[in-house]
Amino acid sequence: MISIKNLHASIDGKEILKGINLEVKAGEVHAIMGPNGSGKSTLSSVLAGNEDYEITEGSVDFMGEDLLEYSTEERARMGIFLAFQYPIEIPGVSNMNFLRTAINETRESRGEEPIAAKDFLAMVKEKSALVELDNSLLKRYVNEGFSGGEKKRNEIFQMAMLEPKLAILDETDSGLDIDALKIVSHGVNTLKNQENATIVITHYQRLLDYIVPDFVHVLYKGKIVKSGTKELALELEEKGYDWIKEEVNA
Amino acid sequence: MSSTLTTNKVEEFVSHIAENNLAVWNELKSIRQSGLKAIKSLKFPTTRDEYWKYSRTTKITKNHYHFSQLDSIKGDLSKVKIEGLDTYEIVMVNGFFNAELSSLPKNDIIEIKSFEECTTEELTSYFSQNLDTITNFFSALNTAYFSEGIMIVAKGVCDKPVHVIHYSEGNNVISQPRNLFITEKNAELSIIKSSINQNTENFFYNSVNEFFIGENSHMNYYVIQNYEEGMNVISTNVATQEKNSNFSAYNYTLKGDWIRNNTNIFVKGENCESNLYGAYQPKGKQHIDNHTIMDHIMPNCESNEHYKGTVDDKATGVFNGKVFVRKDAQKINAFQSNNNILLSDDATMNSKPELEIYADDVKCSHGSTSGQLDEEAVFYLQSRGLSKESATALLIGAFLGEVVEKIKLPELKDKVLEMYGME
Repeated sequence: MISIKNLHASIDGKEILKGINLEVKAGEVHAIMGPNGSGKSTLSSVLAGNEDYEITEGSVDFMGEDLLEYSTEERARMGIFLAFQYPIEIPGVSNMNFLRTAINETRESRGEEPIAAKDFLAMVKEKSALVELDNSLLKRYVNEGFSGGEKKRNEIFQMAMLEPKLAILDETDSGLDIDALKIVSHGVNTLKNQENATIVITHYQRLLDYIVPDFVHVLYKGKIVKSGTKELALELEEKGYDWIKEEVNA
Repeated sequence: MSSTLTTNKVEEFVSHIAENNLAVWNELKSIRQSGLKAIKSLKFPTTRDEYWKYSRTTKITKNHYHFSQLDSIKGDLSKVKIEGLDTYEIVMVNGFFNAELSSLPKNDIIEIKSFEECTTEELTSYFSQNLDTITNFFSALNTAYFSEGIMIVAKGVCDKPVHVIHYSEGNNVISQPRNLFITEKNAELSIIKSSINQNTENFFYNSVNEFFIGENSHMNYYVIQNYEEGMNVISTNVATQEKNSNFSAYNYTLKGDWIRNNTNIFVKGENCESNLYGAYQPKGKQHIDNHTIMDHIMPNCESNEHYKGTVDDKATGVFNGKVFVRKDAQKINAFQSNNNILLSDDATMNSKPELEIYADDVKCSHGSTSGQLDEEAVFYLQSRGLSKESATALLIGAFLGEVVEKIKLPELKDKVLEMYGME
């Protein structure tokens, strides 16, 4: 589905990603772990098309297309979804209005008719139930006054509405209590199928008890320095990152 | 020497207007003469005058104008109609009242009459009460040569809003409508002012409206400015509030080449509420200037003022809001805020909030912000599939929408939201 080769990216002249290689196939869940400042969030921003970052080297193939050639909205319409670590509050823009616009512009780009109001409402009802998001929140402005947990559930709700091919969850678990974590994980697991893929970026192994990865990668100093299966995550939880740092720095 | 020259310029400017003998000149001679007397002592305002610092009036004063009464109009008045809202209509064409196009109330609650029909006492008790004709050239010009005027008196709770439609057409035409709006004790009235212009070039529209909000009465005044090219607009609104009254002025500017709005409220009674809301979005080379004065003379009153704007391309926005709290006006809550978003590197916004407090037991705040669109929010929306244009439009809509939402008439609110491209 996505093939990242030797990806280098920098911001304000400072190189953050220093040659990322990653291959994710349809139906797979990949976890990317790593200490603070290793480049995890940069990777997700770059894949989503954040123009603050400059790509200096490498390539990203997404379903046969050169992803880096496309704008943020084009990538979203192609099926890339980024669940933000810090979802933005947008006063004055209602959740529903925003989502309907997002869905209709995506449909328009595919030459499809706008979604019928009835179908949209039915879809909202079904998908919001998935993450137990209260209907009153949907009518409110995007994320404004939402609790941390509500914001993250709103991200997964949007993901459910937009039905992406590749979902990138950037520290979706950070700040969540165990109940919210279960709800979010349940949502992600329900949406998973053989046609889509998920990249889970996290600091903590805890999330991976609920969203079970096929592969675990360790990102350090802008590179993937170790890959393995879910057992690697357990090892990291137990031993921390120091042994990896030592291996790399040796 | 230079002073003599300037005076000559004013005289020359005025002589072209005066050549067109206004039909109602004689009946209202004393009023007009007070304006004429003021003009004679005044010069054209320049950017050296604090009140006109950011708005150059030479593009108005360099031209010569004439009044133009039209028998028929080319424009379509239906586009300012508000769907689903039944209103009385007063149509003024180039500043002159047009009875045929108007639809006036036939009841005892609202009285609408021309100045000729008013008694001298009626006119003198309301005319130029708080209008600054002493230093403001354009107010004096309107007083001396207003084209026609109407007095609207609400004697009770009005069943429908009054929609005043100003139509403009022609080249080098001056239009100087003058209206008086009065709510008597316990009355309620909503006024909507819309404008249409067609085939206009160098058109100078200089209106003065005066509002008298009687004891325990309510008045709402909504202005929708959506001008096509060729219009230079100075719109002056002056309100006087009596005790326990409520006055709200709303000003929504969609477009216009050059617009200057002066909205001044004088609160002369206790327990009053006053609201001033406005939105503007100049683009291209447009120039939109809003000047307000909120004058608290008596204690125990509240005022809220909120103006918001987006400035794009090479356009200019001006906001100058002055709040006075006089010596005897204790226990005043006065809030003022002006927020702007600059959408281009060449856009200019001049914002000047001013607060003068002479009382010691008051709660006042004022603030001004000018910034850019939230890039993170744009990225967030784009990452969900919205184009940059849609994301920007949605955010601008959300920003300006806050002051559009203040409109109390739902049908009008929907229309204004739609005009701004919001849902």
